[in-house]
Amino acid sequence: MERVDGYAPIRDYALVGDGRTAALIARDGSVDWFCLPNVDSPSIFARMLDADRGGAFRLEPTVRFQAERRYQDSSNVLETTFTTAQGRVRVTDAMTLTDIKRISPMRELVRKVEALSGTVPLNWSFEPRFRFGQGETQIERRAGRWFAHCGSDAVVLGLANAGEGEHRNGSIGGRIELEPGGQALLSLAAAHNEPAVIPGPEDSRRRLERTERFWPQWASRVEYDGRWRDAVVRSALVLKLLTFAPSGAIVAAPTTSLPEWIGGGRNWDYRFTWLRDASWTLDAMLRLGYHDEAHAFFWWLMHASRLTQPRLQILYRTDGSVHTEERDLDELHGYRGSSPVRVGNGARDQVQLDLYGAVLEAIWLYAQEVGRLDGDTGKEVGRIADYVSDHWRDTDNGIWEVRDERTHYTQSKALCWVALDRACSLAEAGMIPDRSARWRSEADELQRFVDVEGWDDERNTYVRAPDLRELDASLLTLALLGYHDPQGERIRGTVAAIERELSEGPYVYRYRGDDGLSGEEGAFLTCSFWLVDAYARCGRLDDANRLMEQLVEVGNDVGLYSEEIDPRSGDFLGNFPQGLTHLALINAAVSIADAEAERRSA
Amino acid sequence: MTIWGALAGGAVGTIVLTSGLRIAQELGWTRMDIPLLLGTAFTDRRGRASVIGYAIHFTNGLLFALAYYAVFRAVSHAGWLFGAALGVVHAGLAGGALITVLLPAVHPRMGTPWSDAEETPLLEAPGFLLMNYGRRTVVWTLLAHVAYGAIVGGFAAQLG
Repeated sequence: MERVDGYAPIRDYALVGDGRTAALIARDGSVDWFCLPNVDSPSIFARMLDADRGGAFRLEPTVRFQAERRYQDSSNVLETTFTTAQGRVRVTDAMTLTDIKRISPMRELVRKVEALSGTVPLNWSFEPRFRFGQGETQIERRAGRWFAHCGSDAVVLGLANAGEGEHRNGSIGGRIELEPGGQALLSLAAAHNEPAVIPGPEDSRRRLERTERFWPQWASRVEYDGRWRDAVVRSALVLKLLTFAPSGAIVAAPTTSLPEWIGGGRNWDYRFTWLRDASWTLDAMLRLGYHDEAHAFFWWLMHASRLTQPRLQILYRTDGSVHTEERDLDELHGYRGSSPVRVGNGARDQVQLDLYGAVLEAIWLYAQEVGRLDGDTGKEVGRIADYVSDHWRDTDNGIWEVRDERTHYTQSKALCWVALDRACSLAEAGMIPDRSARWRSEADELQRFVDVEGWDDERNTYVRAPDLRELDASLLTLALLGYHDPQGERIRGTVAAIERELSEGPYVYRYRGDDGLSGEEGAFLTCSFWLVDAYARCGRLDDANRLMEQLVEVGNDVGLYSEEIDPRSGDFLGNFPQGLTHLALINAAVSIADAEAERRSA
Repeated sequence: MTIWGALAGGAVGTIVLTSGLRIAQELGWTRMDIPLLLGTAFTDRRGRASVIGYAIHFTNGLLFALAYYAVFRAVSHAGWLFGAALGVVHAGLAGGALITVLLPAVHPRMGTPWSDAEETPLLEAPGFLLMNYGRRTVVWTLLAHVAYGAIVGGFAAQLG
């Protein structure tokens, strides 16, 4: 792995986490991204966003090495094996799960080193930089341990067979030399607003072993048994890490400001939950058999949106609050000079009508699963449907959060139709107050608008908007969410047009036109998986399988996907790993399996 | 001046003191968590520790109110200002001896400067004037105890 100006390729990162926060570890053993105490908190390591000042926890051989990585079987425990001329050494990284029987650190990252053969010297360096590198970090040695603290945050470094460590210029560093069969352990125990818990090495080892046992048990519940089981299980494990356990919300990605183009300014904070992803999330969880997680997410969704109902905000914090003000961190250099680095997300103030379709679809999926909705929830859903009836004629920013002028996006209107259609279905099932006559009438008018104003007869496809005659890959969602029969002429024509005009090999661009922002961007991986899904639903199973085969190869060495990709170099772009891409992968794989089963039964 | 007034003041004062320190914790001004520190002396389960810790802390609040009352009786004077002055002494005792020295000495799960912390999970020790939990901890501890003392003194003087 080669770093460019100190930055590792995004593709070379792997994720570990504990359901509250997560760390990104580069192939060379450096923990380059870690927020504490939660995934949306400020960082303690942000080398990804500033190679000099961001902070990191490095652990690598002192001699030239080759690194191979894998997750332990169906788990979120990462193993990196360094092979050198002098021997081999394995580093096992994990965030341990809380020990409910004994007091354990609020958050704990454990790094176990095992000498497999020969003697491989390793250097480690612990460089904490609280609050995105802006906090005043104090480092001191107490009770035989290194403490680093800043205001309400503290971390304790635990070392076993890893030397004592030396403090130099705000970093603590040391060297490990193990005989074959020897082990060392480094642990980072974090505290926030409370005294730090200082773990002994045996406690950390025990928690690591418990964590190693937990993940395969959790992953074994995946009910999908198709051809891409490995990729589906990995995606499920990623989604579990992106799920904020205390609330059930799922963040779009655990990072901020990884650029959509190197050197560009399209750098956003994704450590929030987008309501738009609701239907894909519920669908994926239910299709994989994760009913508890689906229920938790549904209740988070209904609870969080209660503050703004019947209007829904685009994104919420994982705790359900609505404060996501965007600001730039000018002191940080940005990934390979891609600035600004942003925290918070200004998209919350946008109007995105498509999200009502996603939310009503999620509610419909949940209601079908459970068989009922309680009275209050039913009334809330009815009010949301009324809001859609009143507001679908408004302009909006669209699914891609275009920061240009608002317009009448075809996909937004089609998803408003989905919202009203699902509301009618819920009313007919007696689960929500019945105002279906009005909702159906509005839905019919919506459909006329989409099918006339959003349709291009010559090209036989829906277009981005009546005033934007270009294509938009989000129109694939019309096939996925049942706006018209996916095997009908209109959907098949749209899928073919997107394939023709927006795809490049296995990759699909969101659109080609202007979006009010300067700079380029890569192809959007979610759209590639949506295309697979659409193929499967249109009856083009061979195409679906062929494209899926190509896309499964696109993941990195441990099966993770970013938001975007540079089709020419294959470099990952954007925040990483991206939940929406993994959701789309799962749903595409299951759609293929469903279509194959349907074909066999026919 | 009555003992019941002092006890009522102790109850209200403890609520104010605990809430004040909790707010300071949430605002990131200190990492001191008195219920957790006290409760983990008896159990290493976090949830139980907090419940036990709150019970101990509340009981301590009442016991200290009795001690305040003894001083009020001894000098035949009670009042919010005098109570606040006793609160300063109380803060000094808590920050300088009770939590800083005595608690680590008897707490089975707390590190001290002479423990090597190798086998048992240990809680971070408070350090001089509790400053291991953040430099501003001493300020908030002082203010919270002054408020407690003023309330106990005020209640003892008024309710009687």
